[in-house]
Amino acid sequence: MQQESAGGTAGIAPAPGAPLVLELADISKSFPGVQALKAVRFDMRAGEVHALLGENGAGKSTLIKIVSGVHRPDQGSIRIDGHEVAFGSPLEAQRAGIATIYQELLLFPELTVAENIFMGHAPRNRFGIDWPRMRAQARALLASLDIHDLDVNQVVGTLSVGNRQRVEIAKALSQNARILIMDEPTAALTERDVERLFAIVRLLRARGVGIVYISHRLEEIFLLADRVTVFRDGEYVATKQVRDTDRDDLIQMMVGRRIDALFPKFEVPIGEPVLELRNIVRKPATGGVSLTLRAGEIVGLAGLVGSGRSELAQVVFGITPADSGEIRLGGHAVIIRNPAQAKRLGIAYVPEDRGTQGLVRPMQLKENVSLAVLARVSKRTFIDRAAEAALAATSIQKFGIRASGIGQVVNKLSGGNQQKVVLSKWLASGPKVLILDEPTRGIDVGAKAEIHRLMSELAGQGIAILMISSELTEIMGMSDRILVMREGRIVADFARAAATQEAIAAAMMSSAGPMALAS
Amino acid sequence: MILAAALIVLALQSEQFLTVDNLLNQGRLMTEIGLVALPMTFVIVTGGIDLSVGSIMGLCAIVLGYSWKNLGLPLEGAIVVALATGTAAGFVNGWFITRVKVPPLIMTLASLALYRGLAEGISQAHSVRGYPEWFFVLGQGDVMGVPTQLWLLLLAIVIAWTVLARTIFGRALYAIGHNETAARFSGLPVDRYKTAIYTFSGFMAGLAGFIFVSRVSTTRSDMGTGLELDVIAAVVLGGTSIFGGVGTIAGTTIGFVLIQLLKNGLALTGVKGDATIVVIGTVLILSILITNFVQARRAGER
Amino acid sequence: MAAATQSVRPETFRLAGLRRLFGSQEAVLLGVILLLFVVVGGINPRFLAERNLESILLGNAYVAVAAIGMSMVIVSGNIDISVGSLIGVLATVSGSLAVAGAPIIVSWLAPIGVSVLVMLVIGFMVAYLRIPSIVVTLGMLSILKGGLISATGGKWISNLPPGYNLAQNDLLGVPLPIYFMVGLTAGAAVWMRYSAAGRAIYAVGGNAEAARLSGISRERTLMMVFAIHGVFVGIAAILFATQLSIIQSTVPPNLELSIITASVVGGVSILGGTGTAIGSTLAAVLIAAIGSSLIFVGISPYWLRAVQGTLILLTVLADLMRRRRRAVRR
Repeated sequence: MQQESAGGTAGIAPAPGAPLVLELADISKSFPGVQALKAVRFDMRAGEVHALLGENGAGKSTLIKIVSGVHRPDQGSIRIDGHEVAFGSPLEAQRAGIATIYQELLLFPELTVAENIFMGHAPRNRFGIDWPRMRAQARALLASLDIHDLDVNQVVGTLSVGNRQRVEIAKALSQNARILIMDEPTAALTERDVERLFAIVRLLRARGVGIVYISHRLEEIFLLADRVTVFRDGEYVATKQVRDTDRDDLIQMMVGRRIDALFPKFEVPIGEPVLELRNIVRKPATGGVSLTLRAGEIVGLAGLVGSGRSELAQVVFGITPADSGEIRLGGHAVIIRNPAQAKRLGIAYVPEDRGTQGLVRPMQLKENVSLAVLARVSKRTFIDRAAEAALAATSIQKFGIRASGIGQVVNKLSGGNQQKVVLSKWLASGPKVLILDEPTRGIDVGAKAEIHRLMSELAGQGIAILMISSELTEIMGMSDRILVMREGRIVADFARAAATQEAIAAAMMSSAGPMALAS
Repeated sequence: MILAAALIVLALQSEQFLTVDNLLNQGRLMTEIGLVALPMTFVIVTGGIDLSVGSIMGLCAIVLGYSWKNLGLPLEGAIVVALATGTAAGFVNGWFITRVKVPPLIMTLASLALYRGLAEGISQAHSVRGYPEWFFVLGQGDVMGVPTQLWLLLLAIVIAWTVLARTIFGRALYAIGHNETAARFSGLPVDRYKTAIYTFSGFMAGLAGFIFVSRVSTTRSDMGTGLELDVIAAVVLGGTSIFGGVGTIAGTTIGFVLIQLLKNGLALTGVKGDATIVVIGTVLILSILITNFVQARRAGER
Repeated sequence: MAAATQSVRPETFRLAGLRRLFGSQEAVLLGVILLLFVVVGGINPRFLAERNLESILLGNAYVAVAAIGMSMVIVSGNIDISVGSLIGVLATVSGSLAVAGAPIIVSWLAPIGVSVLVMLVIGFMVAYLRIPSIVVTLGMLSILKGGLISATGGKWISNLPPGYNLAQNDLLGVPLPIYFMVGLTAGAAVWMRYSAAGRAIYAVGGNAEAARLSGISRERTLMMVFAIHGVFVGIAAILFATQLSIIQSTVPPNLELSIITASVVGGVSILGGTGTAIGSTLAAVLIAAIGSSLIFVGISPYWLRAVQGTLILLTVLADLMRRRRRAVRR
């Protein structure tokens, strides 16, 4: 598919002789249990928009955190303007001219625009803050970004997201940022806001600011970026000039990998529909989702972060009620108002964030395992210690949990074992529907395989499984059917045999986004 | 341990200290604090706090006196009304905390004022006297040689201990205190349980009010002032963490027993009544410091 | 391709500013005060007598001054329920010094020093030892209250030397305490709004993480807040002590409640991050006026505390509603 050349100055890279403002070489970083980055490189010239592309878990956010001083690399070097630097804190990175705009904006909602822009480094006079000067400078900054409709005295809490983002950009500039990192900046913006953002980005580029642009929207990359770098599974794949590549090429670089026989999902007779969702709407994340889950089936739900998958799961589990739509269990319509009810109906949810949502970390293994089924291990509200211990012991055996005993505090277990504890907790409730949200995130390969084996066994017992995952190989290996969610809706439905990684990735990031019609 | 040493010192200083009579009398005096400290343990274990217990106690005392004297209810009925008031007051706290999601500190600070205000308003600073004889059995009488209310306290301790240590409800409270989100995600009825503990706290404050009136034979609107200090100090002294998730009824029991003995010891050595609250305040702050320190060290060892 | 933008006319900015002014908590308070005067004055005109108005303002000026410091503490995300007892202690310290023959100026200034010292201790425990301020000040409250009673034995201090009663003086016909109240309010309001240190308080109370990333130290800011609070409490204590010719050994009951109510109703959000000194002073005046009006309208003054409690609850609820509405809007 031929990519159209975009208007404006997009696609014209600065002359190769433009100075390198940022060079990252041989950067590696690992966290307990997972190697986030393996000897990657990345560089940036002045006055360039350099896109960073990769799946979830490819290492992009780790790289940003290293550049902005939040993490220190285990090895490798960072150079700014040719000088090697090491950042001990985000503040040091800021002073070196690196500014980051995260998705969760770091603003003070009760203070004004001008104050937010200059918090911590306001112009001063003899008496303290020079307010008139601060306001004037704030106005000038906004004007230089071609923003003329923002009142510097307005309280930030009353601004729209698009405007708040602009304040963040102005804040970055107020500290003379020469490198601006933008992490999924268009995720929450309206079309018009996106256009204005692009205008600002081009303006900054013309001024010599280097911009690291992370986005999943491929069409934006073609409209805005000069170069693009692709990471995959924590490794550097390639860097290309945007004009020398196209969409298929990028997707291939992002996902092309051998599929090992790591996923033993065996054939299992698929039974009757157990869960049916009809047109579930929950603003703002989910808009009109319908799907059917059958006994013994594993349905993989793919999609980018923010596509609404976890939100959907939480609607089904009763954490947040649906605005509209119907849920049917075993043929009967049900209204699920809270997790206790969902549990009673036979739905189990293994959440995305096991630390804060799945486990009570200071408690022991046996206490966590029984947490969802306390009634089952009790005699008339009195907890039967023996029954609880028996349940915990069985779980350890069945799931292969490596712990020093049923009394071990779960905080000390490895990620994989913690996940098994959460799984065993929910399986103790004898569910008919099991929703797994990123079940193998942050877990080593060995534990991953074990969890996949468990999933197959459960499917074999007739449980219907909905698996939310950002790992395409996992989705492809474990699912009987694959659904793709994008921006709150299901946009694709593949049977296992028909799916390819490229097709799934394409559906996740397809160009039917808000920029399809942009100039 | 330090307190045990202090107690030994005090005991030695006054021969009256260790007599059975004295100890039983102390048991009588500490019932009000003890009763309220039990639900307070539940509340603090979940990471909350209830500052309004003293005011609820005062309010219930007033309601008891006034519905009997001014409204003409039979005394039994007045007692029931008083207990119901306490329960309702606690429920209101719980409702606002769980449904409107007002932070417990703020809600119970406001209700501390509100309930005390109601007490003052209803009573107009008059007190009520002249209760019939049988009314004083609870507060001043003995059963088999032990003060009546002490039996009640013992029963309450046993029940509270059992609930917290052995039942689903108790386990859920600990989970909520450590990580309310995970508790919710595990299908525990968090809101229902939280409302229940604040309601229970209100009820116990009302019961304490009833016992107090029975003990001192009058009703005044300033009763229970400062109760929250003693109760929270007892709970924290007993090892309950102010941040939630940790605490036992046994610890709390030791806590309020120690505080009562401390007060008694100080009084017997000639320290005047008001000065004892200085000591209690210091004990409160020190206990938190020590608990924090110990927990931080334990966390560091992990 | 450039997005069409127009400069918004300056008049619109000014209108937005005015609208903000009228919708603010401070304006609401002013409106309620006026309303109260009109209504109660209508029911009983003696309420509006100059003597009464003067006593409302005069008698409660010290509450307003203390509420300024308390507002800062609450904005930073903490609370201080020991302030009533502290004022009692300071007043007694001041009186004792004066009676013992110390120079009058010392008996006025020494309590301020003591107050700052106490507050620094509290601040240290909150900022560095991370003990919740409610617990620290709960303990401190009893330490101070008990300490005061045992030290004074409940006696009142009389025989104060002439010249001691600062609060009884007039300047140009207006009682001194009113100058203190208005002056300190204005000064604090300006400082909190316009100085870097003042803004830091809002930042720490609003979003401590973001504040740290902007280079603001939570610990130092909190110590500063408590120290300044100590100064205001000290001044309030002096105003309180020098009002009458005796110094009682107890303070008015629920003084800390009045002070906290004044701050909260004045718009200082108990959740931290917003509120002004002007608001709290206006609220202090309002509460004093309500207290006084109860008598004139024939309601027993014993209902005052219930009224205060209700006011706090209503204000907190309104604040919560406001915050939630703002969070939902995108």
